[in-house]
Amino acid sequence: MLSMFDFLSVNAVWTIQLIVHGLLAVALLGALTHQAMAVAAPARQVAGPSGFVTRFRNVHGASYATAICVLWVVTFILGAWIYTKYRISIRIPLERNGYFRTLGFFELKEHAAALGLFILPAYWAFWRDAKNPAYDSARKWITVLLAAMCWFSFLVGHVLNNVRGFG
Amino acid sequence: MTAVTEPRAQAGSATASYAAFAIVFAIAAPVIYVASELGGFPLFTYHPGTGRIDFGFAAARTNEGPAMYWYGWLATTLIGAAIAGLAATLLPRNVIGRIPLFLIWLLPLLVLPILAYALMPFWTR
Repeated sequence: MLSMFDFLSVNAVWTIQLIVHGLLAVALLGALTHQAMAVAAPARQVAGPSGFVTRFRNVHGASYATAICVLWVVTFILGAWIYTKYRISIRIPLERNGYFRTLGFFELKEHAAALGLFILPAYWAFWRDAKNPAYDSARKWITVLLAAMCWFSFLVGHVLNNVRGFG
Repeated sequence: MTAVTEPRAQAGSATASYAAFAIVFAIAAPVIYVASELGGFPLFTYHPGTGRIDFGFAAARTNEGPAMYWYGWLATTLIGAAIAGLAATLLPRNVIGRIPLFLIWLLPLLVLPILAYALMPFWTR
């Protein structure tokens, strides 16, 4: 019986999973940035044609909420799965080479991703009830915080992959 | 008339119960997470070198590679915060309405520097 390991090395399989994790993170980053811009700096009505920035933030934030929750959870689960391999194959060699601050930022990214996961149920509840003014402030700042956490996690993960990937 | 309003009332009640769960879950989770990390209370310890899982905190074993606690901290937090959230659904709505919602985004911001401080060996080596 053939398995994928007959065609791909173990490292290639982990690299593919890491790339999928990264692509999901890109989608999440785009959606969250659009939504955060829309809620933190909503576009004003203009008489003439609107520019790129205005169009970028002129999205219907509520329509992104479920997709963002699904993307965060799926990206998180895949990242948590890859984390087991990272602990052996990436972190130990980097420790030997003295990249302690890089590793420290990666551990902090894991904390940020977990903290983001914990506020997703509230985020979803507030966006599902998007017309309730009692949630306006919390909805805005939770969305901005999630976007900041996503940017931080994405950049740290990207830098760490540049320092040492699975290949 | 009753047939029309009852489902709506039930839907409103379900929405309020979910909101109560989500709000208390989001407030409890960062507190439990940071306590679990600083206090060393992972629900389990995973040893990726051997695939072994120990209940609670377990130190890395000689010649068996590192121990991972992050999954255990997550499990402790998700269970603890879910219990707090479910308990909140039993509270009267006016009690839930008095919870300051800014805690949901402020607490993660406050615990991040604490978690960064706990990573001090990485910054000072």
